[in-house]
Amino acid sequence: MLGKALILGILAGFAIWDGRIFGQHMFERPIVLGPLVGLILGDIHTGIVMGASLELVMMGVVGIGAATPPDVVTGGILATAFAIMSGLEIDAAVALSLPIATLAQSVGILDRTINATFLHWADKAADKSDCKGISKAFWSGAWLFWFSSFIVVFLGVLLGSSTISAFVDALPVFILSGLKVASGMLPALGIAILMQLIFDRTNAAYLFIGFVLTALLDMSTVGVAIVGGTIAYIIYQQAVKNKKENFSTPSLSDDLGGEL
Amino acid sequence: MSNLNDKYTENSLVTKGDMRRTFWRSFALQGCFNYERMQNVGFCYSMLPVIKRLYKTPEEISAALKRHLSFFNTTPQVVSFITGACIALEEKNKKSEGGFDTSSITALKAALMGPIAGIGDSFFWGTFRIIAAGIGCGLASQGSILGAVLFLLIFNVPHYLARYYGLKLGYKSGIGFIESVQASGVIELSTNAAKIMGLCVVGAMIASMVTLSTPLVLTMGQTTVEVQGIFDQILPGILPLGLTFGIYELLKKGFKTTTIMFGIILIGIVAAFFGVL
Repeated sequence: MLGKALILGILAGFAIWDGRIFGQHMFERPIVLGPLVGLILGDIHTGIVMGASLELVMMGVVGIGAATPPDVVTGGILATAFAIMSGLEIDAAVALSLPIATLAQSVGILDRTINATFLHWADKAADKSDCKGISKAFWSGAWLFWFSSFIVVFLGVLLGSSTISAFVDALPVFILSGLKVASGMLPALGIAILMQLIFDRTNAAYLFIGFVLTALLDMSTVGVAIVGGTIAYIIYQQAVKNKKENFSTPSLSDDLGGEL
Repeated sequence: MSNLNDKYTENSLVTKGDMRRTFWRSFALQGCFNYERMQNVGFCYSMLPVIKRLYKTPEEISAALKRHLSFFNTTPQVVSFITGACIALEEKNKKSEGGFDTSSITALKAALMGPIAGIGDSFFWGTFRIIAAGIGCGLASQGSILGAVLFLLIFNVPHYLARYYGLKLGYKSGIGFIESVQASGVIELSTNAAKIMGLCVVGAMIASMVTLSTPLVLTMGQTTVEVQGIFDQILPGILPLGLTFGIYELLKKGFKTTTIMFGIILIGIVAAFFGVL
């Protein structure tokens, strides 16, 4: 148990570094971490499936702008670990992942607050034209991220996996089936958050095209992506053409021609 | 292999090696993310090889370090365009021997980070990631490891292209490039095109990945009616669609995501207790 908790903690440290040091390759997302946790705990199939379900639920959890999002790394790793180690049902584990990620978010906020101290180290180093001092300040912040994720996941696995299963065993059945229902609905939250980013009145039709293709014709996501890409290409071509025409004949638009 | 100590271009002061080091350091943008000035320490860290190459006196180095510790926040995947533009301006400053207004470097960063983040967010977060997740989750939910592999590939091929060519383009044409594409409107058009593709996939995901149905059976005299059957006759997936738009409206009204999340869990439990969902 101690060994597994250690390895999962180290995985969490490097996963949080994906967005910090490695330039956000999306290794930090549950769809990638799930199979890795599965591999470490010897049940890769559950890991893959958990990763897919968690990714859907956490799809909208993104760190855009200044806001600190719920911690997908901690939520993803711990929920997958609980599903495998404690024999928690996948649906229940998925529903648990968001409260876990929200709790771990407070650690992320603490990190970013403490990092202001390292920023002031960097300011002082700049005063002294000390490039090494900048690196030192930078890596202090980076290691703070690493260790805080390591510790949360390490303790979470060590203390959580037995307590969670005892806790879940004590729960009445309707709560578990309620979590199952909730885990089916939660992707809607993720998708709705995404929609805030790209959806508006002018382009609403394209969302319905995708919806109808899948709901009525059972088309796979790959198929819809291809259809969507084709439509996007046509619209783009048309727009570029219109732009050129408008540019070359700017006076045409207020020409009343034969209408009078 | 070309020599890393060669000049990057004919008129450059920085070497190929400096540019390569800067490229790799650009990945570490958020390493010391803080609430006061966000990604500034990471940005300064990525500029260190160039600063060390260009400036030799303590005053020059100190001024350059301070310039790049100013507030900075943009989309990590596309930051290297700004880095490249900054390198070009730092070289200009060095070549001019004091005749250059260095506040223009800070101004350039402030002017570029917003538009670049706008483009980066809609392409990388709003499009590539959605398509990658839509395709990846479809495969992974059937237990295939290909899901994770495709997810990473679909996202990271454009990521590396943007980072690599972003640095080159930023260095060579910098702000002029952004101005000319903004004037031509190409960015806006291609952002719109990317959104169209993203939205189609989002629509498909509502239909295939949100699950909500009711086991309710109404008994009227001798006949029984399955409520879900009625919904399916109207439009399959109408409940997931309604749920998603309901949440979208709540978000627009300013409800917090955590509130909605716990609300969903609570509704799930209550509905399961009464057997309506």
